Amino acid sequence: MFQLIWDGLFVGSFYALVALGYSMVYGIIKLLNFAHGDLYMLGSFIAFVVIGGLTGLMGIGSIPILLLVLLISMLATGGIGVLIERVAYRPLRNSPRLSALITAVGVSFTIEYAVRQIFGADPEVFPLQLSGQPMQILGARITMPQVILMAVAAVLMILLQRYVMHSREGRAMRAIALDQNAALLMGVNVNKVISRTFFIGSALAGAAGVMAAAYYGSIDFLMGFVIGLKAFTAAVIGGIGNLYGAMVGGIVLGLLESFGTNWFGGEWRDVFAFGFLILFLVFKPTGLLGERVVERV
Amino acid sequence: MFSRTTRMKRTLALGALAATAALALSACSGGLAGGGETDSGDGPIKFGMLAPFSGSEAAFGDYMKFGAQLAIDEINADGGVAGRDLELVTEDDACDATASVAAAQKLVTAGVKGSVGGYCSGATLPTLPIFADAGIPMVIPAANSNELVGQGAFMINGTGTQQAEAAVTWINKEGAKNVVIIDDNEAYPKDLADSIEKQAEGLTVAREHVNPDEKDFSAAVNSVLGKSPDFVVWTGYYQAGGLLIKQLRAAGYAGPILVGDGSVDAQLSAIAGADAMTGVVGTFTRTPDMLENGAQWIEDYKKVSGGKEPGPYSIQTYEAVKTLAEAMNVAEGTDYDKVVSALKGLKDFPLLTGNLTFADDGSRQGGGFVIVEPTGDGGAFVLKDELKG
Repeated sequence: MFQLIWDGLFVGSFYALVALGYSMVYGIIKLLNFAHGDLYMLGSFIAFVVIGGLTGLMGIGSIPILLLVLLISMLATGGIGVLIERVAYRPLRNSPRLSALITAVGVSFTIEYAVRQIFGADPEVFPLQLSGQPMQILGARITMPQVILMAVAAVLMILLQRYVMHSREGRAMRAIALDQNAALLMGVNVNKVISRTFFIGSALAGAAGVMAAAYYGSIDFLMGFVIGLKAFTAAVIGGIGNLYGAMVGGIVLGLLESFGTNWFGGEWRDVFAFGFLILFLVFKPTGLLGERVVERV
Repeated sequence: MFSRTTRMKRTLALGALAATAALALSACSGGLAGGGETDSGDGPIKFGMLAPFSGSEAAFGDYMKFGAQLAIDEINADGGVAGRDLELVTEDDACDATASVAAAQKLVTAGVKGSVGGYCSGATLPTLPIFADAGIPMVIPAANSNELVGQGAFMINGTGTQQAEAAVTWINKEGAKNVVIIDDNEAYPKDLADSIEKQAEGLTVAREHVNPDEKDFSAAVNSVLGKSPDFVVWTGYYQAGGLLIKQLRAAGYAGPILVGDGSVDAQLSAIAGADAMTGVVGTFTRTPDMLENGAQWIEDYKKVSGGKEPGPYSIQTYEAVKTLAEAMNVAEGTDYDKVVSALKGLKDFPLLTGNLTFADDGSRQGGGFVIVEPTGDGGAFVLKDELKG
């Protein structure tokens, strides 16, 4: 029982990190950034390349190196996120929302197949892998890497929460989410804030990608596809556009999958997960913690 | 080797399109092929080979081409078939049903007298009626879906059913009683898992499935451990297989694991980590390095390939050419009916991978599956047990 809860929490914390980016972007410019899962994938590949260069220089591989690589990858994926927004989304900001959505799908495929061209279709083995002997706690197997990765995820989420809720820039983000034009008239630099939002969201996805690569040990160009969909589901379950919602949604989805697999078998895992997506969209489109959806003119 | 079935990721619409195109093209194939007898009775006999030379499976095209070329060179040096030389004509099927139908038409127009290609089952299936209508006998080296059986073609590689037999033999030999079979819900691995379950009489069999596009299988691993198995079978491909084995071991499963041919690749060890691979074996058809006189064969192959090492299905394609040439020798020509009855009449034809006799449905008797283990260089699989007797 505790094993199921632990597994759910662990997987859920990855979903939550990726869902946060989805949710922030949706909250601010009402765009479903379908390329978000691919930033997760890019994060892992950037780390793959960086580690290749780093271990050549230092000859060691350990937790400090991983944290350094994590930071570099976050900066890089954040930058790529800003670039994507500037090139593919900003020109379409006043177009019908469907155009931006289609562009997002295009961006997703572009990234995936560009990575395939560079690294090939076969999975790469991630050179830095965390491993540890499992400890038995309350009948569940818990490993040190799991604890470390969940701690990193928690720290990132707390930092984000502090930033959005208690800083000047965070207030600007929330203002744009409420009313973009009014924020503009109040002197908020809308483009800058949106860029910053993309940077943070993409960096979080990149961080999740690096952590997943270090834990599971293999990366491939399509690895962001499923987790992108799952993160979207998590964001909807929690209430899309709401930060706490994304975190709660990620954890809830992880738990649902863990228990669903246990009760119905692995082949029903995705049916179960995406079935909940449909149920939530039909019966509670605002999600667990969602705000009222205010249609703006 | 790791995807004889085309992957169904986002290609449903494409698949439908391909099927339509296949229907349309095969409908007009009779007209094209019935056109005229291009065989003048002298000049070389052309053998056509469809294989993937582009796309994700492109590596296998070259492995197969050089294998076929080596066989043809050897046969020509020995005086050819019925007094005529052989010539290899290759076309790219890209592991895609649409491309393979077009490529098969090109081979027919080029006047080939035999087909010795076929790697992806999905791309091979629609070409069978085209070759059959044109009166071209087919010996398929690699593709081995059960759907290809009984369609008039002859198969060098063992089928899923035969691989399942080998797996069950090994499970019984290990004395396991409580087996969990894990597949990835894709066509070929699921077939294989179904076949193993069907044949595993007297064993307790449970099934588990994972989504190969994901990285975390902890839920499935928990479910497997809950059944406390003394044997685990994985029928999917090595990408997910490596992760699954790693996570099974990390969760405390120390028992034997058997993987299907889709996971028999050195990358399996690289992904799972060498420590996790103790007690892992695979079912596979023989590769040149497992053969007794394999070293000489590899040397000969390298002369043809320009120094490149042979890969999976090099040897099966080599044998497909040898088999078809033998049948044409027996038939004293390229007449379709005579060649087919000669293929059916082959009894224990000696090949490097063992003696070959075709069953009535065109599949290879016994299938030639052996047990391999990942103890070679860098986790490469090497022969462990020939499953004889």
